[in-house]
Amino acid sequence: MIRIKIITILVACAFLLLIFGLIFLEVIQGNKFRALSDKNSIRLLPQSGARGKILDRDGNVIVDSKLSYDVMISPQRSGSREEALMGVSRVLKISQNDLREKIKKDYISMSVPVVIAKNIDIKKAIALEELKPDLAGVIIQPNPQRRYPYNSLAAHVIGYLNEIDRWRLTSLADYGYKTRDYVGFGGVEEKYDYYLRQEQGGLSVEVDHRGRSVRVLGFKPPKNGKDIQLTLSLKIQRIVEDYLADRKGSVIIMDPYTGEILAMASSPVFNPAVFVDRNGSSISDIFNNRDAPLINRAISGTFPPASVFKVISAVAGLETKKISLSKTFVCTGSTFIGRREFNCWSKHGEENLIQAIAHSCDSFFYKTGLLLGPLVIHDYALKFGLSKSTSFELPYEAAGFIPSSLWKKVNRFQNWYEGDTANLVIGQGDCLVTPLQVTRMMAVFANKGYLVTPYIVQRIDGKDVSVYQKKISYLGLKDSTIENIRLGLKEVVSDATGTGNVLSGLPVSVAGKTGTAQAPPGLSHAWFAGFFPFKNPKYVICVFLERGGPGYASCVLAKQIIEAMVNIGAI
Amino acid sequence: MKNSPFLILAIAVLIALIGILSIYSSTFAKEGKFWQELFQRQISWVIFGLVCFYLISNLNYRRIWDWTYLLYFLALCFLFFVLALGVVRSGAQRWLKIAWFNFQPSDIAKLILVIFLARYFSRKSVDDINLPSSRFGVFRGLVLPFIFTAIPMGLIIEQPDLGSGLLILTSFIVMLYLTNIRLRYIFIFLLVIALASPFLWHFLHDYQKERLLVFLNPNIDPLGAGYTIIQSKIAIGSGGFFGKGWLSGTQSQLRFLPESHTDFIFATFSEQWGFLGSFILIGLYYFLIRQGILIAQRTQDAFGRLLAFGISLMLGTQVFVNIAMNLGLAPVVGLPLPLMSYGGSSVLTTFIALGILVNIDKTRSVF
Repeated sequence: MIRIKIITILVACAFLLLIFGLIFLEVIQGNKFRALSDKNSIRLLPQSGARGKILDRDGNVIVDSKLSYDVMISPQRSGSREEALMGVSRVLKISQNDLREKIKKDYISMSVPVVIAKNIDIKKAIALEELKPDLAGVIIQPNPQRRYPYNSLAAHVIGYLNEIDRWRLTSLADYGYKTRDYVGFGGVEEKYDYYLRQEQGGLSVEVDHRGRSVRVLGFKPPKNGKDIQLTLSLKIQRIVEDYLADRKGSVIIMDPYTGEILAMASSPVFNPAVFVDRNGSSISDIFNNRDAPLINRAISGTFPPASVFKVISAVAGLETKKISLSKTFVCTGSTFIGRREFNCWSKHGEENLIQAIAHSCDSFFYKTGLLLGPLVIHDYALKFGLSKSTSFELPYEAAGFIPSSLWKKVNRFQNWYEGDTANLVIGQGDCLVTPLQVTRMMAVFANKGYLVTPYIVQRIDGKDVSVYQKKISYLGLKDSTIENIRLGLKEVVSDATGTGNVLSGLPVSVAGKTGTAQAPPGLSHAWFAGFFPFKNPKYVICVFLERGGPGYASCVLAKQIIEAMVNIGAI
Repeated sequence: MKNSPFLILAIAVLIALIGILSIYSSTFAKEGKFWQELFQRQISWVIFGLVCFYLISNLNYRRIWDWTYLLYFLALCFLFFVLALGVVRSGAQRWLKIAWFNFQPSDIAKLILVIFLARYFSRKSVDDINLPSSRFGVFRGLVLPFIFTAIPMGLIIEQPDLGSGLLILTSFIVMLYLTNIRLRYIFIFLLVIALASPFLWHFLHDYQKERLLVFLNPNIDPLGAGYTIIQSKIAIGSGGFFGKGWLSGTQSQLRFLPESHTDFIFATFSEQWGFLGSFILIGLYYFLIRQGILIAQRTQDAFGRLLAFGISLMLGTQVFVNIAMNLGLAPVVGLPLPLMSYGGSSVLTTFIALGILVNIDKTRSVF
């Protein structure tokens, strides 16, 4: 019968259809559905390690990390959201309306969870985690956060943490950095981010349809970042910052033999903790501040060295034998160079080199400069490490600048005049240096003859890395030159009329050079660079006050700092 | 194919065992005594079903002819009982609590209706093998049997159990077709249904409308009505060629798949045994139904033949609709997979139906 045949064929066709459906689902689309099924049942619970600590030279914690928790809600499940919000509001004691408004405000798209509460404490986080099966779409994200027990102390050395920016992401993507990662900005945090950063671990858990975990499939322990020990001394750093207070400027204290930085301060400071709290207005305050608190003036700020530079001129004079100790010039308060009158800041009369250094006599150096010529001065400046970076490890170090006749010809289309030489020899004109360069230059006289490479990181993860930094280069100066300059530097302080005489009352003998950098309009910059104790120097100090007035101001600050260091027994 | 009774029994037992394994795999991870003992209950149902199978297969099916109207009446009574005092479970009133178990009368009603239609379109005389229905007019051939079908069907759809209702409708059409009713009538009937469907749409429950809409596009409501079908497809698809292995189906055991031991038992099975297992399972079902059709073709007696066809095709439709629904090829209607899905009345009814089938074959050979 035809009808029976048709029915039989229909039945066979129906079953064939089922087989085709099966092939389509299981064989052709099998992998896709396998992935979907895994997505259903496998949850990754990320666990963060802590970012490495930053310690001072004695092992005291300068910066460490604490765990904090963020509460996020995925807007996807609108149906049960009210219920979830109710639970969250009960635990966190935030009103539901506030939460709702927060979601509305921060909403990005359906699939991106919105952060509804930041930095909740661990008890509340645990309470929420327990309620989680009933709170649809609520995610609790553990976040290790930087903790700054001393607030802004050494902020410029440390740097701060912030969400990775596009520029950093492009260059760091190959090292496993991802968007929304927090990375260091500035200072040690940036330079050694790769060592400090933690490695995320996590639990892969099989969950049932309500998101309750059934069993653990795998665990990768999170790794803490490596600790970094600095050469910085917390005690000295605090003294330095306390006395620098809110004056603009920078203070560096360095070991003259090794280049270890014991203190490095820059003012105005910022509190890196504001980037943790992500308080928008205080962050924009920092960025909009005209005094640029994020700039580390010690390494990134370039200023005219002024009289501090005379030390280099003096060395050049002695080394090239253009002048000797017995050579004197008479200072009448001003010197004519060409048709222009170059003033000295005072009227010193007849002076030899030692006296000229002690009194910072400009006239003496104008004349010395004319004897030397610009090329020699320029070369000696470069010899002392100016006009190029010191190879210090922290980022954004400026190179500074020392002009030369060639540069002037090429860039300004002007000839080099003797007046330019006069400006150069006293460190004015186009000269620019960083406080760190000055510190390093001064260290040559403390260690009697070599340039150190400043460094600030002693150990990473317990391993001494300073060996890679300790590069010194002998300048090949004559011993007598160094001795004579040292004598001059000592006279600056010990001579009753020396520019740094204010430092003479200290229990340690200090030697150094002051500087008053004219930078019109406005007040001049105040410099003092020196070392102490004179006989066996332990520290080089460089005090710089931006628009701080005459060098005297810096001397006073240096005195306060050295005094306090003596009081705590650092010397 | 002399050995149809044995083959039917063997395949049915095999499928039932696969069903028990699948029920176990979908419930063993769930907490609570109820879930833990579910597979044991299914075992007892299967044993009970086998007993029924044995008894029915030794009971001359011609006697059913005499009981048809009584059975029909009983079925209507049961359905009225359900309407009046049935147990409400998951939004539907489909069950009657009899002694210690819940009984779903719509299952047995489907079978009884097939018996009824087989009788209606045939004559008592064993010798008269010609079907009278080819001479029926519109009233006797279409309207009257449809009224008899529509009463239980309406009651079942009202429960609401759209799946069983539509299954009865399908059985009715198939029986009409096989009884040599003029094709014209069948076309008229289909046309009427097609024309009436927009009006019938309004009689559907909201959830039924939703299911039909979701079938057309599961993604309109992925967490609501579309959830089941999406999860079922994920379960089956993730099984791949070889499956995830017994007791390793995450979709069913972690409860992503709802109804994993009843309507979606095929997805549960397929997730664990993959394409290979599913292919074999579908093959078994096909052989089972094929045996039924062969029995029908061998039977000379009009009643027996119609009955055998009706039973085979009803089972076949049920299997097809259920698996198609699991695969996302048919809308989600609450139809169990015969012999595999958990459920006493479904298992019993299926075994009884197979018993009748076997008896038809046996009795035929007596002649």
